[in-house]
Amino acid sequence: MPVKNRFAELHDDITAWRRDIHENPEILFETHRTSALVAQKLKEFGCDEIVEGIGRTGVVAVIKGRSTASGKVIGLRADMDALPIHEQTGLEYASKTDGAMHACGHDGHTAMLLGAARYLAETRNFDGTAVIIFQPAEEGGGGGREMCEDGMMDRWGIQEVYGMHNWPGQPVGSFAIRPGAFFAATDQFDIAIEGTGGHAAKPHETADPTVMGSQIVMALQTITSRNADPVDQIVVSVTSFETSSNAFNVIPQRVHMKGTVRTMSKEMRALAEKRLIAICEGIATTMGGAADVTYHRGYPVMVNSDAQTDFAAEVAKSVSGQCNDAPLVMGGEDFAYMLEERPGAYILVGNGDTAMVHHPEYNFNDEAIPAGCSWWAEIVEQRMPAS
Amino acid sequence: MPIKNRFAETHAEITGWRRHLHQIPELQFDLFETSKFVEERLRSFGITDITTGVAKTGIVAVIKGKTDTAGRVIGLRADMDALPIHEQTGLEYASQTPGKMHACGHDGHTAMLLGAAQYLAETRNFDGTAVLIFQPAEEGGGGGQVMVQEGLMDRWGIQEVYGMHNMPGLAAGEFAIRSGPLLAATDEFVITITGQGGHAAAPHEAIDPNVAAAHVILGLQSIASRFVDPLGHVVVSVCALQSDTEAFNVIPQTVHMRGTVRTLDGKVRDLAQEKLLKIVTATADAHGCVAETDYVRGYPVTVNADENTRFAAEAAASVAGSVITDTPPIMAGEDFAYMLEACPGAYIMVGNGEEGATVHHPAYDFDDDAIPAGCSWFAEMIEQRMPAA
Repeated sequence: MPVKNRFAELHDDITAWRRDIHENPEILFETHRTSALVAQKLKEFGCDEIVEGIGRTGVVAVIKGRSTASGKVIGLRADMDALPIHEQTGLEYASKTDGAMHACGHDGHTAMLLGAARYLAETRNFDGTAVIIFQPAEEGGGGGREMCEDGMMDRWGIQEVYGMHNWPGQPVGSFAIRPGAFFAATDQFDIAIEGTGGHAAKPHETADPTVMGSQIVMALQTITSRNADPVDQIVVSVTSFETSSNAFNVIPQRVHMKGTVRTMSKEMRALAEKRLIAICEGIATTMGGAADVTYHRGYPVMVNSDAQTDFAAEVAKSVSGQCNDAPLVMGGEDFAYMLEERPGAYILVGNGDTAMVHHPEYNFNDEAIPAGCSWWAEIVEQRMPAS
Repeated sequence: MPIKNRFAETHAEITGWRRHLHQIPELQFDLFETSKFVEERLRSFGITDITTGVAKTGIVAVIKGKTDTAGRVIGLRADMDALPIHEQTGLEYASQTPGKMHACGHDGHTAMLLGAAQYLAETRNFDGTAVLIFQPAEEGGGGGQVMVQEGLMDRWGIQEVYGMHNMPGLAAGEFAIRSGPLLAATDEFVITITGQGGHAAAPHEAIDPNVAAAHVILGLQSIASRFVDPLGHVVVSVCALQSDTEAFNVIPQTVHMRGTVRTLDGKVRDLAQEKLLKIVTATADAHGCVAETDYVRGYPVTVNADENTRFAAEAAASVAGSVITDTPPIMAGEDFAYMLEACPGAYIMVGNGEEGATVHHPAYDFDDDAIPAGCSWFAEMIEQRMPAA
């Protein structure tokens, strides 16, 4: 049971949708054009119900099988938003909006799920209900969380939920997955260090926050190197360091640092937060200043359920012959919120030898479309087989 | 097929051997009393093919099965050496030698392999040859490496090799294993930073190697936090730092540091070594000091072969009813790594009880309740891998 023939026929159509979305990238929750396009297509396919405005600009559609005697309801989710990156692909269908770009392949995800919706609405060769979920704001906005907060899971009685992401470097159309923790929890921190500014020629009359900040950057390395179990995974990165003055001869009053913490378990996440705050406050105090730390917990660890992962892998094998073991990914994924509410699984589909996601030369590989669409359709048909 | 009944009968006897060994801890390659005791026990079981003096005090004994139709040869290994620790258990059978102690349970490992040898020599219910390996100097001496260098695998034609270590925190007699890297490569480094000593009241006339050393220590943290893939594993620990003066008013001339690097992968090991050397040299230079680093590669990564891990897990499951097959890797090192480099095989952990001190602690003791399970596993490895014809 390889790629479905119908998707060979639809490949050009779906590619055209993908490229249209690529030309018109929209960021975070501002996916107005994309959402309208998605809703329009779903209407054309004859979906049973289409609701816009879930999670602000998210779209949810319902496709009932020939029968619904099984009472099963499965959610399929794609993300629609682009990134604030200036595209440098030189493609004919490159972004028409300066500073916005589909550099993570969400154009492809949306087009593939639309393709699957079209097929499922045509054939309805299953016993149950497919709920098709298009979410905004995966890239840092928490669109998936907002859809959950709007009651999506209960409103449509979703029992299991599945997601897919393209993966550069993996052979095009091949699949990879892993059970358990898969993508990292992504937290942000904001550190304001208040010292006592003054003349650079009279350091003894100041409490220099730049030196405090430097000590803090060094000490934060010890969360990974000394506090965390070396068998576990963690990243603590200070990504931004700014003094309140740009002068050559002023010791600044304030320093502002920002960064991110990536972890793969609740325990490591709690440890990192506790140590980060203690290190910042302790060192600043020691050196005669004060640190004000805002620790913002972002996306949780994305955890694939065991049973659904096995099923998703079996489906992937039926589509492309095999499914590989995926490594842990220290990136974050908003789909984590949906997997916190319902059992389910997230799979990677190969994007071939392309630039990495979030790179200005990245492009989704349209050759992955038949495999991706087939996987979606098979998830529905194999999980809820027609009676 | 649970614990073999015979080991219920010999449990008290094996416990007696274990406690005797506990009282006479010896270090490194100097296991004269220990290896004499092991040899005497092996002879008392009717084993005649015994080679002593392998790697100075190591012993290799051969037990032939009832038949040997397929030429199969399997090695079972236990370590015999103790640690330079002053025992604080207060046990009746505590160490009789101050400053030496069986704080890693090698007394138990040796006694369990002796127990299995007694059973195998009695029953010989297998088709092939069991080679029992008692090694010295696991604790930092590389006794396993020396045995391999002396031709252990070729001389006895060993085709597979298995080893066992007790594991505090796991219920007594339970088993845990993993395929692939199980224990870490353990490297050591010694760093000497030379500045220019002077009066503590005139730091500007000196070059303070303490400050350079402090910067080096902080810089080394970035090997784990910045250089190694967060999905990889590394420990870099500076464990000792000594300046060459203990005075309150002298800036020292030199500082000595020593520590360890633990890794589970050859590439990470190379990267850690490269970065350590660069950080030490460049940081010292930045502070006007000169650094010399002696980086010594110790035990390699202990890597369990996939197929043999499966065999070992199956034998453990048949003894204990179940087995943990995905125990996390341990950043400690193990000299058995050399035997696994020379021959396919696997290393398994046997529970030492959920309570009690961890290994290398002065209050640690081997849990004699683990003996029947440990002995049974050794015996099952032989009987399952070389079933009687």
